[in-house]
Amino acid sequence: MIRFFRDKASVRRLDELKKLSLFVDLSAREMSIVDAFMHERNYMKGEIIFDEGEEGQAIYFVLGGRVLICPQGLVDSPIALLGPGSFFGELALLDDTPRAAQARAAENTILAVLFRGDFLGLMHSHAFIASKIAFQLARHLGGRLRSSIRSGQTST
Amino acid sequence: MNDRRYRSGPLAWLGIIVVSCLLLFLFQRILWLVVPFLLALIGYYLLFPIQQRLIMGGVSRNAAAYVVSAGAFAFAALVVLLLFPWVSAHAVAWQDSVARYIEGGLRFVAETLAWFEGNYAFAARANLSGQLTQHISELGDKLVSMYLASAVLTAAAWFPSLILAPFLAFFFLRDGWRFKLFLSRSVPNAFFERTLFLLDRVDHTARLYFQGLIKLTLLDALTLAGGLWLIGVSAPLVLGMVTAVLAWVPYVGSILGCMLVILVAATDYPGDPVMAYAAIGLFIWVRLLDDFFFMPMTIGRSLKLHPLITVIMIFVGGAVAGVAGLMLVLPLLGIVMVLGETIGEVVTDPRLRARHQFARELREIQVTGDLRC
Repeated sequence: MIRFFRDKASVRRLDELKKLSLFVDLSAREMSIVDAFMHERNYMKGEIIFDEGEEGQAIYFVLGGRVLICPQGLVDSPIALLGPGSFFGELALLDDTPRAAQARAAENTILAVLFRGDFLGLMHSHAFIASKIAFQLARHLGGRLRSSIRSGQTST
Repeated sequence: MNDRRYRSGPLAWLGIIVVSCLLLFLFQRILWLVVPFLLALIGYYLLFPIQQRLIMGGVSRNAAAYVVSAGAFAFAALVVLLLFPWVSAHAVAWQDSVARYIEGGLRFVAETLAWFEGNYAFAARANLSGQLTQHISELGDKLVSMYLASAVLTAAAWFPSLILAPFLAFFFLRDGWRFKLFLSRSVPNAFFERTLFLLDRVDHTARLYFQGLIKLTLLDALTLAGGLWLIGVSAPLVLGMVTAVLAWVPYVGSILGCMLVILVAATDYPGDPVMAYAAIGLFIWVRLLDDFFFMPMTIGRSLKLHPLITVIMIFVGGAVAGVAGLMLVLPLLGIVMVLGETIGEVVTDPRLRARHQFARELREIQVTGDLRC
């Protein structure tokens, strides 16, 4: 029965996930606990992952391929092009505010998805692991804030 | 983009009710599987918080499932082992007690009817006590041979399927999360995030319902047991527990529970109908407490069903699938309702449908690309 439900790609995914900055503090055992909550999705080139303004419920990790982040429908004005090892939609882990931009697969892409409900469950069941992830998330958001302040100062 | 909120319309509700009735009809045919499944769900939600505590303490999910299941099994085995000598020693006495309680209850009814006949002319003309006595004497010896044998055979036939319940509960504890991942793989990308959120709501609703049911049963049992103990009825805790479990079956369960309490009170105090009336009053008071305080505090919060729909569906459930329907209709309706709203919310979103259609076209182009050259 376990074999029936077992995700065959989980071993490969675990190796990919370990490389992510968000999980850098996690041990192999802790990583396998987090992996139990991960959903793997395959997107085709051009397929929309989420729309701007949509209620965010999950964070996405790029395991393969590339993801284009752009204003709604404006593929020619990209905000970012994310490759393997990066993640997006991270604000959805913190609250259910609308997505700030559209995400679209720039090529055939494999994503790992962590649902906010599962992350909250992780905070209850494995508070230590969740706190490590939350700490890295705070560092990541802090870095983005600093860079946006720097870019604001440069432009003025 | 998707700022509108989905509200189920009359058609969606009609669909939910029809699907609930069809499922009830189907479940009635496979009760041998549905009842252990429900018991397993109750067991799962009862043991789930303990498993979570173990996981929080650093035990792996699988190990926690094994430990919790083994602990529950050991506890059940210990209870059976401790009770077995006592049960075997008292079995014969209980057989006599059943007859004594039935006799006590019938005597109470006959005395009550006789009192009515003595005080009201219309009751005297109906001669109900005479008719009752005649019916009892006709049934007499047949009662045990007619019903006891079939009851024992039914219990023996149900026993193997009830053994399924602990096994199912164990697999729910160990593999429930794997099943969720497995299920989510069947959802197309466009609907994935929304469906996952709504499935989480289904799980949340089911957890609140079954944990609420356990709390409600305990509250009912303890309140009734306390009251029965105060008025001096024997075995108050057992009576409280049995009537609280019987109350899982709406209406019919409450009536059976009330009859049970009356039988015991009337037998414990023969010739003193005041005690039986006190037991009836206590029972009604506990049911009122249950309806107005305990149920809204426990189960009511989970299902959020309109009272009118609740009552109508209980009658529909009884008509479609009898006693099983009465018991199953509310949890089933609650789950079908959330699932119906989930499907409605996902399928009626034009943007999600368009994205799904677009993804299908992309796949079509990708898999037929080489065919076109």
